[in-house]
Amino acid sequence: MIGYVAGRSWLHRAHPYTPLALAAAVLLLSFAFHTPVPVWLMVAAALIMALATGTIREVLGPALLLATPTWLVLLVLHGLLGEPPKAPFGPFLLSEPGVARALVLGGRIGAIVIAFLAALATVSPARLVDGMTARGIPFGPIFLLVSTLTFLPRTRERAARILEAQQARGLRIGGSPLARFRALVPLVLPLVLGALAEVDEQVLALETRGATSGVRRTPLDPPADPAGQRVLRLGLVVVVVVAWAARLTNRI
Amino acid sequence: MSVIRLERAVFRYAGRPEPALTVERLDVARGELVAVTGPIGSGCSTLLLVASGYAPSITGGTLEGERRIEARRPALVFATPWTQLTGIAHTVLAEVAFGPASDGLPREQVLAAAHAALERLGAHHLASRDPALLSGGELQRVVVAAALAQQPDLLVLDDPAAELDPEAADRLYDLLGDLAREGRTVLVATPDVARAAHVATRALVLERGRIVADGVPASVLSETDVARIARAAGCPGPLPLDVAALVARVAEAG
Repeated sequence: MIGYVAGRSWLHRAHPYTPLALAAAVLLLSFAFHTPVPVWLMVAAALIMALATGTIREVLGPALLLATPTWLVLLVLHGLLGEPPKAPFGPFLLSEPGVARALVLGGRIGAIVIAFLAALATVSPARLVDGMTARGIPFGPIFLLVSTLTFLPRTRERAARILEAQQARGLRIGGSPLARFRALVPLVLPLVLGALAEVDEQVLALETRGATSGVRRTPLDPPADPAGQRVLRLGLVVVVVVAWAARLTNRI
Repeated sequence: MSVIRLERAVFRYAGRPEPALTVERLDVARGELVAVTGPIGSGCSTLLLVASGYAPSITGGTLEGERRIEARRPALVFATPWTQLTGIAHTVLAEVAFGPASDGLPREQVLAAAHAALERLGAHHLASRDPALLSGGELQRVVVAAALAQQPDLLVLDDPAAELDPEAADRLYDLLGDLAREGRTVLVATPDVARAAHVATRALVLERGRIVADGVPASVLSETDVARIARAAGCPGPLPLDVAALVARVAEAG
């Protein structure tokens, strides 16, 4: 499942910017490093983040689903077809620099996917809205961000409703892969067209409720942002800046 | 003084040459509760959008003629409550509070307005629920509450009882009557002529984008089931439009 998972972990209770800052730091640091070990340390850091928030089960499945195809492509592209020297690995001859390159690229993808899925599972959209509103961020960017974060869960719910309705009208979703593919059409068309039709009314509804009034909105329940968390986020910025400075000056 | 004035108003949706609405003249005074009715496609919803100022500014299209609206941000409710959720509120209270919060009112005032609106709709028990998980009827009450929380001078509703059971629909129409008596102007498009006739102070009937009848409900609305029965029974006009009126008429006649 991709989306917010209710919980009581420290990161659930933290200001929403904190888990997002951790995920952003993992992303930026994984690109700052270009050897397998530090990159896979970032994967470990992301996994620890998911473990610490109690969302590992919800994060790991989708993360593997998203990352595995890319890992396989990287392994074939760089490991099997990479430049020499090559070393035997079972029945295969693998390129040593190619495998190292695949490990770096694959590690970055793994770290980013796990860290952001963990952040997504930890940050309540409602708290994020209040947190951003309290900082005086206009409604437009908030709506854009939260709509993106909640897009998958909402689409999944909508798809489930449409699927139930179509099955009630006799749609069969089992059988051969071709039959399953055919069953996608009566699901996808209403999903897309329905979403487009509803957008117009939602825009109108938001407008009538003052979303674009230009007045600074009142946050209903602004999350606390203790000094410790602000220092932590500042520390992450410093670490990222130092890592990138080292990378750009060829020190790492 | 008119809250809404339309004069020689012609509205066309984008890409459609024929007018969706043509109004020679329409004045709606403060505190009126106007029921708007007509066959499907007759322009009732379009009239609401034009009269509330949201067409063409939000919907697109073109409006010719004169329009004057003396109301601060009219509140609008559609028949499809699930399309009116903000998508960023995860409790009903936050959903209802969205409008007043957008006005930048102090937090206490925002919450008080939201609680009061939920109370009026009998939906206070839903305050902590996730709006995405409500039934159609619950959601309909929540979106009406969200409109009320904005404390609008002008409330415009398009078939607001579409998702409600008969009892809840009765309560909603009674509430609309109360709002009009408080001095708010209410426009409600509805196929539920009997309920509208019970509370409305005025009725408009539309056909093919034009107002074909405008007056007190008893003289304008004659197509309720009760009115048909009364007509068949030879009852002289104005026909009773709902059961209560029919009973009263029968009692009068002895």
